[in-house]
Amino acid sequence: MKDGRSTTISWMRLIAWSTLFVVLISVGLLVYCRYLSTQIEKRFSARRWSIPSRVFSDTTLLYPGQRTNRVLLYEALRRLGYREVTHEPDHKGEMQTSSSRADIFLHDLQILSRKREGFPVRIRFWQDEIASITRLDHRESLAILELEPEEMTLFFGPERERRQLVSLDQVPKHLIFAILAAEDSRFYQHHGFDPKGMLRALYTNVRRGGIRQGGSTITQQLAKSYFLTPRRTLLRKAKELLMSVTMEVMYDKGDILEVYLNEIYLGQDGSVSINGVGEASCFYFGKPVAELSVAEAAVIAGLIKGPNHYSPYTEKKRCRDRRNAVLRAMNKHGWISGQALQTALTSPIDTVGVTAYRKRAPYFVDHLSKQLTTLYSSKALSSLGLAIYTTLDTQVQMAAERALSKGLARLETLHPALERAAAEEKLQGAVVVIQPKTGYILAMVGGRDYSVSQFNRITQARRQPGSAFKPFVFVSGLDAFTPASMLSNEPKSYEVDGKAWQPQNYEPIGEDHLPLRYALAKSVNRATVDLAVRVGLDHIVSTAEAFNFTTPVKPLLSLSLGAFEVIPLELARAYCAFAADGVLPYPLCLKGVSDENGQILERRHMTIERVISPAKAFIMSSMLRSAVTCGTARSLNDMGVFFPVAGKTGTTNDFRDAWFIGYTPDILALVWVGFDNGQSIHVPGSAAALPIWAELINAIPQHISGDWFQMPPGVVRNSIGFQGGAWPLRSDGCKRTEEFFLADQVLENERFPHPRSGLLNRIVEEFKGVIQSF
Amino acid sequence: MSFKVFEGLLILALSGLALSGCSAPVVIPSSAPPESRPLPSQGTEEAPRTPTPLSPRVLASLQLTDQGRMLLERGRTDDAISLLERAVSLYPTNGENYYYLAEACLLKGNPAQAGEFNRLAGMYLEREPLWMEKVLEQRKRIEADSKRG
Repeated sequence: MKDGRSTTISWMRLIAWSTLFVVLISVGLLVYCRYLSTQIEKRFSARRWSIPSRVFSDTTLLYPGQRTNRVLLYEALRRLGYREVTHEPDHKGEMQTSSSRADIFLHDLQILSRKREGFPVRIRFWQDEIASITRLDHRESLAILELEPEEMTLFFGPERERRQLVSLDQVPKHLIFAILAAEDSRFYQHHGFDPKGMLRALYTNVRRGGIRQGGSTITQQLAKSYFLTPRRTLLRKAKELLMSVTMEVMYDKGDILEVYLNEIYLGQDGSVSINGVGEASCFYFGKPVAELSVAEAAVIAGLIKGPNHYSPYTEKKRCRDRRNAVLRAMNKHGWISGQALQTALTSPIDTVGVTAYRKRAPYFVDHLSKQLTTLYSSKALSSLGLAIYTTLDTQVQMAAERALSKGLARLETLHPALERAAAEEKLQGAVVVIQPKTGYILAMVGGRDYSVSQFNRITQARRQPGSAFKPFVFVSGLDAFTPASMLSNEPKSYEVDGKAWQPQNYEPIGEDHLPLRYALAKSVNRATVDLAVRVGLDHIVSTAEAFNFTTPVKPLLSLSLGAFEVIPLELARAYCAFAADGVLPYPLCLKGVSDENGQILERRHMTIERVISPAKAFIMSSMLRSAVTCGTARSLNDMGVFFPVAGKTGTTNDFRDAWFIGYTPDILALVWVGFDNGQSIHVPGSAAALPIWAELINAIPQHISGDWFQMPPGVVRNSIGFQGGAWPLRSDGCKRTEEFFLADQVLENERFPHPRSGLLNRIVEEFKGVIQSF
Repeated sequence: MSFKVFEGLLILALSGLALSGCSAPVVIPSSAPPESRPLPSQGTEEAPRTPTPLSPRVLASLQLTDQGRMLLERGRTDDAISLLERAVSLYPTNGENYYYLAEACLLKGNPAQAGEFNRLAGMYLEREPLWMEKVLEQRKRIEADSKRG
């Protein structure tokens, strides 16, 4: 009896302890689940992913009659994700090209506040011109067509993940079915974990003697990748289960699926991972997720199991088999018909083509980044998914990069002494291309190889401009001198720091006196120094300051020959004033920023500042035109540049720097060549920088109108005599019979000493003849 | 008297006339429209080869100018400026672009930039009396804005 009672008490105790244990465990689990729920809630309600900001180029304008470089245009189209097809394009992103036309089904365009639906278009070419642009759906001729901007780079955080967020309603049903078929066909039936699925997986794995099938539901997969480490431990598995159940209690299936679709890892582009179906759709098929076909959706769904194992880029057969398995599973569940299955099974896997991710226009992007960091923190840039629109023209950028690369290689071939074994010691160069009227930076190449040196020689270098600075000496003199005024070319000695200094000319010039125009065209040192002395060095310093050179400029005689340091971008900008009616534009690279919802956060526009009169700018352009027609840059005529160009070469002491800055009313480009350590390159600007400039400009006919500057008010054109007074009678094409003058100078009745008016000159000569005859 | 001497005297006689009228060069006052004389010979460096009025480039630019103007009227100032900037890049001597850019700057409360654009508009539209009226009226508004600012 006692024993029986004792046994009962023991049982009761056991039950009590067990109940307490179960209660404690349950409470513990509840507390833990509560903790997990706060974690999940925190993650779901806060910003879910770090989305890198994207930097875009400017859009490309095409119009009938425009000259184009078709090679660069087609390259740009390919970079934009257009893929060549053999049929008439009937889906966005397809193009069919022939020798005389390109049929393109345009992508949608969205930039800042503008949106445009994609449509099919036919561009007909006649030789190097666009003959017509026709919208194929409406049979309507277009006067202008805008191509979408190119993505140039992304501001990654430490994760280096690419992701384009999509909402569930943007995702086509067949993609959802494909993913469910591939990963979790009972997603809408279970509550976070699927015992049936787990048992099936266990059975399969035991039968095949290894892990062949996972039993994780979509919710579990999400819990794993979103909150947990990838380590395979029992504790982690238990945590995963609890988290999945908690998640299912807290959120509906749609929310969970949407997060999953944006979270999953779907491939690798170099060092950058491709995450989410939105990004994968663009990465593999070059189209928004909404436009994926059934077969393409099955490819993406099949990738979840092993993105690199089933990659359509590298593992084509495996990818096809996996896709077909997914398609059959879809059919088995009744999500696609037998006919749709057959169509999808036989369709090829047409990928858009992959180019390993790399930063495009890296020096430009670095320059841009410096401006952006004054607006946004690096964390914001790498996480907020901003769209950053710039002024960069990718075709000009490509042309500039190639021209520089070829030009430097050519120089090394022609002058083997320029070759260096070490990559970081190699001959360097830099190019910047600016639209002078707007200040848009169209291209920037800050060095020969970004992977070797990230030092931007356009924005960070300080180099002597040499003769490329002379125009600022000459423009300083335009108040007192005219292009026809005479300057002394006689050898003279000047005292500099107590020592005698005698400027030398680059090549012998016989005349003792030269007109300004000729002195600038031929870059005559002695005449320039003579002008600088007569104008006053302080005045030249003031001019340099007015043109916004920020490097120290001292009133020394050597200043007139450019023996001080400038930042190349500032030099290019200063020349813009000559090309833009005396107006100095702010060099613009950022046009606007919008957030991931398309809300505009920032807009930037052209900003201009007048530094000289339009009349002076015109006269300077006219004189710099002479440098190209008969001066130091005359070889440009042999390089296929047949339209009017103004420009100036520059070479510094011992050939340390070679420059050419050339412009038309439409475009301005600066080219610099030299060694970083200041060693001599042994060739002048006309031989080192000029051919690079010519190659670049010839490659971008769309930016060349062939126009020249209109003569502005305040300029008069006047004859300067048959012999041009003391104008040198040379056979080098510099002979002139007319010259441009500032109107107010002429009104002051010829303060300038030369030349006498042409007719007056002739009368005097004739009078002498008459006297002699008598 | 040989023919050469006769020729010399003739030139000498003519010179009296010439000196009175020809010693001073032709002056284009700054208020006059810009001179656009044809070239003495094609291909010299100062060829004032202004854009052909209906060149494709000009046509494309004019389309952008028109779109920019419409956006400006709709109050989409920033979008208008973006289009007008593109129009400037294609047809830099079209004064209308600068006129509308000046309007946009006024709307954005930047009379200093408006003044710069207005000056360029005045330069390029000098030969268009109707436009010049608008440019001058705009200039007054800019001055008033500047004083207020």
